Amino acid sequence: MSATDSTAVRCTGIRKHFGEDEARVEVLRGVDYTVRRGELSFLVGPSGCGKTTLISVIAGLLATDAGQVHLFGRDLAGMPNDERILFRRTHLGFVFQQYNLLQALTAAENAAIPLLAAGVRRREAVDRATALLERLGLSGKTGSFPRQLSGGQQQRVALARALVHEPRLIICDEPTAALDHATGEAVMELLASAAVHPDRAVIVVTHDNRVFHFADVIAQMDDGRIVGVDPRRRSGPVPETVSPTPPSPLSA
Amino acid sequence: MNWVGLQMLRNDRAKFAAMIVAVSMAVFLMQNQAAILATMLSMTAAQIREVEDADLWVTEPDVECFDQVKAMRDIQLMRVRGVPGIAWAAPLLKIDAIGRSEGGRLNTVTVLGIDDVSLAGLPRRMRVGRADAIRELDTAIIDPGGHQLFFPGEPFRPGRSLRIRDRRIRIVGISDVAAPFTGLPMLHTSRSTAAALNLGEQHMTSFILARSAPGTPPEQVCQRIQALGGLRARTTEQFAADAMWFYGSQGVPMLFMVTITIGLIVGAAITGQTFLMFIKENARPLSMLKVVGTTDRQLGIMILLQGTVVLALGSCFGSGIAAAVCNLVRTQPFLRSLYLPWQIALGTCLALASVTGVALYASFRHVRGLEPASVFR
Repeated sequence: MSATDSTAVRCTGIRKHFGEDEARVEVLRGVDYTVRRGELSFLVGPSGCGKTTLISVIAGLLATDAGQVHLFGRDLAGMPNDERILFRRTHLGFVFQQYNLLQALTAAENAAIPLLAAGVRRREAVDRATALLERLGLSGKTGSFPRQLSGGQQQRVALARALVHEPRLIICDEPTAALDHATGEAVMELLASAAVHPDRAVIVVTHDNRVFHFADVIAQMDDGRIVGVDPRRRSGPVPETVSPTPPSPLSA
Repeated sequence: MNWVGLQMLRNDRAKFAAMIVAVSMAVFLMQNQAAILATMLSMTAAQIREVEDADLWVTEPDVECFDQVKAMRDIQLMRVRGVPGIAWAAPLLKIDAIGRSEGGRLNTVTVLGIDDVSLAGLPRRMRVGRADAIRELDTAIIDPGGHQLFFPGEPFRPGRSLRIRDRRIRIVGISDVAAPFTGLPMLHTSRSTAAALNLGEQHMTSFILARSAPGTPPEQVCQRIQALGGLRARTTEQFAADAMWFYGSQGVPMLFMVTITIGLIVGAAITGQTFLMFIKENARPLSMLKVVGTTDRQLGIMILLQGTVVLALGSCFGSGIAAAVCNLVRTQPFLRSLYLPWQIALGTCLALASVTGVALYASFRHVRGLEPASVFR
């Protein structure tokens, strides 16, 4: 496999600012960041260092001032908006800090949203989401509404929503921040076991150093730059039900 | 995704209910006021339109509506009858007099004296009795409102009498004519009886009812009559329109229009404001939907569907309430002519939808402007 083929995300020279004149803030100052297929990459750093902006840029939600973002060889900035939305809908999954579940929908319906957005019929979408939730250990909760679920259960539903359409890149924003340690650990175990796949990359933005042992790579950000990359072999417990994660090219 | 939108709407019960109530009340208020206005205007022409056997009305030149009475000389009837294209012409005498029931109830009544020979202008619909019973002297038929006024609480039945200008007028039937704009009881009697009540007056013709001959356009006959000079001739619809215009230009419709406009503005404002609030409070879920790849078009259709559901439900409830109130009110004899035309029901709903559409558009613009990346903050 060539270096290009194994690359899931390649950011080069990304610059991004917000505000103008005196309010102008340079949030990203020439970020170079690479994530390989099969890799669980942690993006860490102090608040305000630009982590969220970077994942927004990677997801195609924010335009850059300069630099290039390639996802699986495709130049995101060069895509027309409609195509970029379609690409995001098809190839990207998201897990948010506050879960962002729709209170009006059941767990299965929430997990089915990416399929519904893609035009899959409701029954089929919910069936597929239900099957996935059962694999994630929420067998008895598929018909429950978010308010009836614990934080950990809600994050599992969010994880199912990120996985249900089998995306190639999953972006997680502080997935354990709203959870206690044990629940956060469980969610990360699930993420590591269910999301990591040889053809899929996972980016996790986190402050939570208790879960760093799940990472294949830890990229340290500060002041709008990647200031260090720490390749490591994942040391966290891997459930038996999960296929082994391939070693990260960076950690090999 | 439309289904997701409907679930979001249903889940926010307080706002969903508030919007439906706002639309319902606005639609009810607008339809109710518009129905009253339409009924009032139609009442100004009801006595004209109900004379179905004639298609021409001939009056003195300056008479503009049914309630303006200017007596005509009998010679005018002869002149009209001599116009080519006239099949027949008959006099109609209209007078106002004080009536008193056996129980002592007093009220002004409108007496219509119908030509004894042709009975042109006789009510077509009767609740009780036969209309042609008025051929007998000193008999009359009374409208339901008049019966209730003079004989409150009594069932509709002939046999009672009214004293009018020292003559005892026996009620031989109860008509089913539309309520008059003036609200006065309507007595239909023979012209002979009416003339006897109108002693001292020189002329006994208020209107000339006429029928154009088959094959002759009534408008053409009107022109011929007016060419005689000193007369004004109009078709039934022209005279009805004149009457409605006469009353419509008196300012009363403006008061109703103000209320209708207030209903429209308040209803649309509450609905639009609540809907916009609903959308703004759901900014985060909507941003999430954008992040996972929902297009602006999908969200736009979702918002349109949500708005349509609110408007449709509210309009149905509002129209239902307006129709129910209308049906309830019209059981009262004096208000029996109240009606709610489907054009008003449809028009008010469309008017509200148009104004609320602005709020839907504003909501869509808000959603389109949502920064999906904000969901990470």
